Amino acid sequence: MKFFGFVIVCLTGGLLLYGTMDLPDWGDPGSPASTHLSDYYIEHIVEETQVPNLVTAVLADYRGYDTMFETAVVFCAGLACFLLLRDFRPKKDRYFRHVPTGVMLHFKNPQTRLIAGNEFEHMDKDWVPSDMIIKTVCRILIPFIQIYALYVVAHGDFSPGGGFQGGVIFGSSLILMAISYNLKTLVKRVTEKFLSVFAALGVLIYVGLGVAAMLMGGHFLDYGMLAPLLPSDPGHIRALGMLGVEIGVGIAVMAVMVIIYINIVSEGRHDEGL
Amino acid sequence: MNNMPAILVLAPLLGAFFACLAAWIQKQLSYYIALAAMAVSCFAAVSVLTDVITSGTMQYRMAGWAPPMGIELRIDLLNAMVLVLISAIAFVNLVASVKNVEQEISDRAPSFYVMYLLFVVGLLGVTATGDLFNLYVLIEITSLTSYTLIALGDKDRAPLAALNYIFIGVIGASFYLLGVGYLYITTGSLNMADVAVILKGIQGSSAVLTAFILCILGVWIKMALFPLHVWLPNAYAFAPVGFARVVAPLMTKVMVYVMVRLMVTVFGLEYIFETLNLADAVVWLAVTAILAGAFTALFQKDLKKMLAYIIVCEIGYMVGGAWLGNSLGMTGAILHILNDGLMTFALFLAVGNIIYMRRQTAFSDLSGLFAAMPWTMAGFVLAGLSIIGVPPTCGFFSKWYLVLGAFEAGAYHFAAALIISSLVCAVLFFKVFEICFFEADSGAGDHNPAKVITEAPVSMLASLGLVSVAIIAAGIYAGTIVDTIILPFLQ
Repeated sequence: MKFFGFVIVCLTGGLLLYGTMDLPDWGDPGSPASTHLSDYYIEHIVEETQVPNLVTAVLADYRGYDTMFETAVVFCAGLACFLLLRDFRPKKDRYFRHVPTGVMLHFKNPQTRLIAGNEFEHMDKDWVPSDMIIKTVCRILIPFIQIYALYVVAHGDFSPGGGFQGGVIFGSSLILMAISYNLKTLVKRVTEKFLSVFAALGVLIYVGLGVAAMLMGGHFLDYGMLAPLLPSDPGHIRALGMLGVEIGVGIAVMAVMVIIYINIVSEGRHDEGL
Repeated sequence: MNNMPAILVLAPLLGAFFACLAAWIQKQLSYYIALAAMAVSCFAAVSVLTDVITSGTMQYRMAGWAPPMGIELRIDLLNAMVLVLISAIAFVNLVASVKNVEQEISDRAPSFYVMYLLFVVGLLGVTATGDLFNLYVLIEITSLTSYTLIALGDKDRAPLAALNYIFIGVIGASFYLLGVGYLYITTGSLNMADVAVILKGIQGSSAVLTAFILCILGVWIKMALFPLHVWLPNAYAFAPVGFARVVAPLMTKVMVYVMVRLMVTVFGLEYIFETLNLADAVVWLAVTAILAGAFTALFQKDLKKMLAYIIVCEIGYMVGGAWLGNSLGMTGAILHILNDGLMTFALFLAVGNIIYMRRQTAFSDLSGLFAAMPWTMAGFVLAGLSIIGVPPTCGFFSKWYLVLGAFEAGAYHFAAALIISSLVCAVLFFKVFEICFFEADSGAGDHNPAKVITEAPVSMLASLGLVSVAIIAAGIYAGTIVDTIILPFLQ
């Protein structure tokens, strides 16, 4: 088998090398890839869409249909994690800690209820005393990370950035909360319902903008048709449309990041984990 | 302006997200949303097909940009036909499988429907698009959803089958993407029609040949052409019934469509059959696929596994037909996309009914089925006869075109393989019929000699009946389909 694998790898490598013989030189300005469509984009984008960032314009407008499905792929990934990993069975063993003394209680019967005040906290099996420095630093840092994420989303059409990147940054701020505190703190703040609704809503904003354009009499995703709906300069409407879909992408990516994280670290039980 | 081509893809997409939201209000709602979304999509597909037949190829510019700059949906006779097939099967299957889903995955049924809709979106999008990269994105969606849904099946074996599928499927998709990369470097465009025009001028280029080989290999892996089929039998046999019924007839057929599209529209038949000398080798490969699929099916002891190997065999028919290099062979291959979709769907509907009532599909568990489930078995027999190729079922007519094409091309080995595999299929199905008909039901027969009919619910039987009618109708109207859809497309 190893030998066959080696032969196949050599053949594929040989094919790829053979294919490169006729490719244009690296960075050749006369190559088809840099002349056929690129010229059109470079000459017309700013005039047609009023977006200075050409990459965003191609991504979210000229090829916005692709990007919509890329967002749907992200949504699929989150849903796949839920479908395959989520485990609704209650866990047998539960642990509680008496906060003032640090004494631990171990319940083996899931039906047992602990009737006590705030001095007991529900805790993970592999509990590590949380570090005050880490907690404090993260607590201060998280809001700034989130503001930066919003900045990246909002500036997608002016500078490098956009919904995917901003969403990942925002999602990672929530994951940082789970790492520095514990998973329960995160799950209490962003529930499963919240996350799944936002994941669907994010993509729905994208598709919805496209459908709105269709209802206004244009093609699907033709943001130019949204002009009568918004009190803005009609020339600038495509840039606004792109901002709208970037926001949708950002929301969906943020929610899916957290869904994937929670399901993987807690093995689908949403109770404890990294 | 006609928005139907977009609605056809968007209805299930919107449906998926609304179903996801509605599940938080009431679990049942997501099923009805899915049903409504597929009904809209089905209606749009039929209306697109009638429009294309009367007024020719439809183009739909996404976001309003002209084709090489933006993405276009380009629907001609071939994909209009495949789109109707996909949306109709997906819709009928939703009606048929609701009880199976309740039985198998009741605790996460809403998510199942969301995933199911996204899978159908992927198939419809792959078929409707006129853009090479968009095709890849949608293949990604179909693959991701099918990995997930297959893993939901049999608790012990499905996750492993899905994992194998992921490894191989990802390689297939990467090959296709790499091929598109080579094409983009050499042509600078991603629009199929535009690429086709540019490719005419650079046919001798080694980069184009590499791109062609990579794209076709990627698609072959995805469609499970022998010997790249190893992922398929387990994945389809262990998937949950509600999904196996739609993935088995559609996934491989859509990939065959992609292959035909790449051959006819993008690279051009002249390039493939005149510049390159690969056709003979590929027909031999198809012959091996047909024989290997048929003979491996002979050794299976489980009905689902047997059907999965028959799919491998049928893939050989279509690939071989498309590569014969004449119009008859291509006609047979395209007609077989439609017919095989219907036949496989009917077989899996029947198998799903059996699983719903008996939970098992090993041959030893099938005894006494004709007495217990007469209607299901009637549908199964009809679909089986169609796979064997008995007129007037549709399977006969596509095989007829394939055999004629093989004789015209002088590919007698391909004709021989077709006939041998038909005989093997006859042996296979009559073996199953014999077990179901003559062997007494070991479980119930001992104490209760009176035969009790334990038939599947009406929704399942009605779906099976509908598909059975479609199989016969596709057979009777085969000539009309060829004259109005396939021949005009090939000209």
